[in-house]
Parts: sequence; C-alpha cells; structure tokens
Amino acid sequence: MKQVKKAPDAFSGSVGLAIAGFGVEFKSDQPGIISVLKNRYPEFASAAAAGHRFETFEVSGRQNPFKPAVVLSGSSLKIKRGDFEGVLDLGKGSGTLKAAPNEQCLDAFLRSLISFLLLRSSGFMLHSAGLVKKGKAYLFLGKSGAGKSTLSKLAAASGAEVVSDEINLLRFEKGHFRAYGSPFWGEMRSDGRQGNWPLGGIFLLKKAKINRVGEVRAGEALKLLLRCLVNFDKSHAAAELVLKNASRLLAKAEFSRLEFSKADGSFLGLI
Amino acid sequence: MNLQIRKDLAYRRIAGELFIVDSAKAEMHELNGPAALIWEGLAAGKTERSLISAITAEFEVDEKTACEDLEAFLKTMQKAGLVSSVQPR
Repeated sequence: MKQVKKAPDAFSGSVGLAIAGFGVEFKSDQPGIISVLKNRYPEFASAAAAGHRFETFEVSGRQNPFKPAVVLSGSSLKIKRGDFEGVLDLGKGSGTLKAAPNEQCLDAFLRSLISFLLLRSSGFMLHSAGLVKKGKAYLFLGKSGAGKSTLSKLAAASGAEVVSDEINLLRFEKGHFRAYGSPFWGEMRSDGRQGNWPLGGIFLLKKAKINRVGEVRAGEALKLLLRCLVNFDKSHAAAELVLKNASRLLAKAEFSRLEFSKADGSFLGLI
Repeated sequence: MNLQIRKDLAYRRIAGELFIVDSAKAEMHELNGPAALIWEGLAAGKTERSLISAITAEFEVDEKTACEDLEAFLKTMQKAGLVSSVQPR
C-alpha cells in the first residue's frame, strides 16, 4: 500500500454517517475519500454522527487479500484488507483509516466495521432481503440464488418498501429486535434510507411454484442464520457472541419458511 | 480418557441441540442426543466412568453400548480436530 501524495491545493473536509444507529465520522485533508463517501451514502449522511471518528488518508492498493481481517487487541480494533487499513481505539472512539478512494474499498471497510459493532450490540449483519409491511420489518434469509433479489423486486413492484435486497442490519434494543435501514444492497443497487422498524418475523427463503408459509425447526433456522451471518471477526470471543445473539434471536423472533413464486408479489399476502 | 475440548471453540445449547462454532476453520457442528451429553460432560471435566453412567441413565442403553458410543464419538471428534489428547499430570 503506497501513500498518495497530497494535492497542492489542500482540501479539508469531513462527512458523518449514521448506519444502524452507529455514528461514523471521516475527516481528511484529501478530497477523494470524502467525495466518494458523500456520493455513495447520501441517505446515511448525518451531521450529528458521532461515536467513531477516523482521520483518513488516501492510499493506492489492490484488493488482495479480498477478505477483510478483523482483529481486536485490548481496545484497539484493526480492520485490514489489501486496499485499506483502519485502526480504531474503541475507548476513545477515534482512529485512522488508510484506504483507496473508491466505493468498493470503502463499502468493504464499512461492512466490516458495522458488522463488528452490531455483533457487540447483540445484533447481526445478515445476508437477507428485508421488507417493511404495516410498520414491521421482515427478513428473508437465503444464500446466493435463494431468491433475495427476485423477492425484493417483486415486493417493490407491488408497492412494498424494501430495506435491502442483500444485507440487513439487526439490533437488540429494550428487549426487542429492530431492523435498521441498510446502505448495503445487491442487484437493486438502491441507496436505501435511514430508519428502523420492529422485527415482525424471519423467513427462510425458497423458490417454488406456489406461495406457501410453513413451520421451521429451530435447529434448521439457526443453521441458516449462521450461514447468512456477515462476520469477518474470526476470534473466539466473536464466535461466543454469535451463538449468544443467535440464541436470543431464536427465542424472540418468529421463524417460518416462505416458499414463493416469482410470478408476482402475491406472497406478500402471506406475511 | 485424556481428551479435552479445543479452547478456541464456542458452543452453546440452543433449542435442544448443541452447536459448536469453529471460527478458525469457519465451520459449524451440530450435536444432539448422546453426543451433546458427552460434549457437555467433557467440557465439565467428567471422567469416562461418569460419562458412561450419564449415557446409560439418560438414554436407557446398557453399559457396553454406552461405552462403544462414547469411544466412537470421541474418535469422530478427534478426527474432526475438535478435541485433542492431553498428557496426564
């Protein structure tokens, strides 16, 4: 990773984001990262964002290794990939980020950071589709090909609000799980929006010829839940948290199986 | 029986089944029935004799069957790298 020389006309800027209730602020004397963040997350910009502040520096670097490594040592969190390295003192809430000024890089960094924070807030970042119906959020778990994007597009075409067609954010607050608006999307490539909704239920997703809702065993739900978890922290402490949070989610949320037809959005009537 | 559970594994009984997360290998294992009972016994440092007693009491099998089940399970767990031998003190 090579540091990019600062432009002669020194730029000073900052951007604050609020994602899943976590404030993240980036400051830089260079224009690239701030500009990319402002363009990429317009719906999640927040002047009041606080909590985690990063002094950012633009670097050039390749994505290899592609998978971020997340390591917590004492109160120092390090999130690293070929094209970024973020170090955050969790006690002080401040740190540095050296990153390539492009969307893919900053998206990967934010996913890694937010997934880490969610797990420690009794929550999850989940590969899933998320919809809002009658003021409640419903998540649809499925790995690639399960139908998350198809279901999301059908729901949107039927007038339902889609929270994300790819990655949804859950937090446990005051005894209940809530889904938060997500900036992380798949095929639909929406910006998303800030907001949060009480969790109405979780469905295991399956494409079928007819729409049907069925029961699901807790063990089966847990297995898919863990497979759909977005988590780059491979520590023992993270694994303990995953099981603890999953146990709570299984106890608090209603899990069902949704078989749905890609003919139209009529499956919404079953939710 | 000089075996112990790997210290870096996370496990928890959820909805009656025992789930083991091996974060180093990004793997998950699911145990139920006697297997879960043995795992929890190992975690609690129980002896082979007390594990066999627990299996016979819980699952209404004779001692010979319990002994064979225990041996087979431990071999499987060793092969999967979830438990390892320890030197007796």
